[in-house]
Amino acid sequence: MASLTLKSLVKRYGKTEVLHGIDLEVADGEFVVFVGPSGCGKSTTLRMIAGLEDISSGEISIADKVVNNLEPKQRNIAMVFQNYAIYPHMSVRKNIGFGLRTAKLSRTEKSERIVEVATLLGMEEYLDRKPSALSGGQRQRVAIGRALVRDPAVFLFDEPLSNLDAQLRTQMRLEIKKLHQRVGTTIVFVTHDQVEAMTMADRIVIMKDGYIQQVGTPAEAYHNPVNTFVAQFIGAPSMNMLPGVLDDQGLRLWNGSRVSWNLASSGQSHDVILGVRPEDLTPVPPGEAMLEGIISVVEPLGSETLLYVDIDGIEVIASGPGRQAPEPGSRISLGATSDTLHLFDKESGVALK
Amino acid sequence: MSFYDRLSVRQKQTVWAWGFLAIPIVFYVVVRFYPTANAIVLSFQEWNLLGARTWAGIDNYVTLFHDPVFWKVFRNTFVYLLIGTPVSLILSFVIAYHLDKVRFLHGTIRALYFLPFMTSAVAMAWVWRWFYQPVPIGLFNNFLASFGIAQIEFLNSTTNALPAVLAPAIWAGLGFQIIIFMAGLRAIPKTYYEAAHIDGVSGWTIMSEITLPLLKPTIVFLVVFSSIGFLRIFDHVFNMTTNNPGGPLNSTKPLVLMIYDTAFNSFDMGYAAAQTVVLFVILLIVSLLQLRLLRDR
Repeated sequence: MASLTLKSLVKRYGKTEVLHGIDLEVADGEFVVFVGPSGCGKSTTLRMIAGLEDISSGEISIADKVVNNLEPKQRNIAMVFQNYAIYPHMSVRKNIGFGLRTAKLSRTEKSERIVEVATLLGMEEYLDRKPSALSGGQRQRVAIGRALVRDPAVFLFDEPLSNLDAQLRTQMRLEIKKLHQRVGTTIVFVTHDQVEAMTMADRIVIMKDGYIQQVGTPAEAYHNPVNTFVAQFIGAPSMNMLPGVLDDQGLRLWNGSRVSWNLASSGQSHDVILGVRPEDLTPVPPGEAMLEGIISVVEPLGSETLLYVDIDGIEVIASGPGRQAPEPGSRISLGATSDTLHLFDKESGVALK
Repeated sequence: MSFYDRLSVRQKQTVWAWGFLAIPIVFYVVVRFYPTANAIVLSFQEWNLLGARTWAGIDNYVTLFHDPVFWKVFRNTFVYLLIGTPVSLILSFVIAYHLDKVRFLHGTIRALYFLPFMTSAVAMAWVWRWFYQPVPIGLFNNFLASFGIAQIEFLNSTTNALPAVLAPAIWAGLGFQIIIFMAGLRAIPKTYYEAAHIDGVSGWTIMSEITLPLLKPTIVFLVVFSSIGFLRIFDHVFNMTTNNPGGPLNSTKPLVLMIYDTAFNSFDMGYAAAQTVVLFVILLIVSLLQLRLLRDR
């Protein structure tokens, strides 16, 4: 077990800089998830931590030791790959044992360790099978087992659940989280799926275009997004983004309606974006309406109903009760409490508080 | 309603399937199976290409068994096989393995290796024959002479001639084998190597436990394919030893050349057919043996 520190980490391919100075402290035993759209640099960062990519500049330390010039094996890390990278010609036992090849253990100690890990993952019955005789989830477990068997300081996961179907993904998500609670090893997990990030992480690192946008607990990222990118990336369906202007009397939306706001622009009016999550935007009596529009589509999800409402040319997603959903085509009044509203500067996208 | 319209969909599909299959079937029967069967029958007969075919029983096989030239040729054929196949496979694997990592002029280098495979074996054999000539003509001997090294009789020595003939045959096949090996190497996912790299195993372990086992289908294919090629070697030998095909003293003569000699110089068709049947059996046994040995267990 160990802490992990990234200091102004930069990656260049030729003249193209893809990572522009990443700074991050991961505490011992922490579960950190890197999330972002493809091409944001999250996998590159992970591969640099693993030692599979050179570091153009900056510093990576594992357990307070700079590892920039260490080979992957000297870094005491283990990695689980998206396509599992388990060898098709070897049995599960040999695959898990592959990580112990260079370990200074006796033959019996090694085989005991393999069985121990397999038991932990519920795979002890499958030790003599070839990967071709396993399901996707079981293969993923073998890949995790191979990483686990070495008892590394840091676990690295590179989108390990992307190849699984939705149901299995939910299940494996839970298993990895439980595993972390049991073994307590530091984990760095990369995914493009914000749900995975939200559900598993102690802390989320949201990345875009080679920059860290926000680092924080899932709740912080969800409730206090620092900019419009984070606000829209975290949470499904995405946050509604309503253009408006902050003038000396408060906040005026694009359709002219006024929203009470504790902030006012001194002097010049200021272009802003008002963010409100669908679940915070609910039907209200017509007198208290913040917004009014015509329902275009209704999506019943059981526990709630998503309402796609056309409000003066902008489609807004609101949330209605699960049982009594309004009809499409009907007029609806929507409102949200002021503490659920987010205001962003239009030009920079930065949150205004 | 015509007969065809009354057929069910399934029957119509069958009719079409057999319609298309008929062409290759006729082709194979006329061009492959009939001559094969005929050759087997002929191997029990005497025939000089013009006269009548007369039964000879197993005389041809008995003659063959007692023919010292046959055993010499038999041995030569297996020397071609046992040196040619491993040497060409190891060479082509080593080249493919390293070429796979080369970025600089990758396509050009690959094309250069593939070029001999597309070149006519006859032209190539004659060029190599020129390489092997004594001073002042031959390239190799000139090169040796410039360092003051004594002449080497490449094609005129009974010990050197077979390797000298085999070398261009191996070289000619390399391009094809390299391409196949590279395709096999490319098909191995990079993450397998990365995972091994993180586990910290040695380069030798990666090669013997990951690369080679995963290349097994490729290796099986190339072993069988190149073995058949070396067992049937003919044009390189024939063209490099035209003055005395298979010479000197039958030291380079492979089975196919012996068959050619018997059939078209001695016009002893029955005897040649018997040799052909023996070659066929050898090819069959070697291929089946290799497939069985290299098959996935």
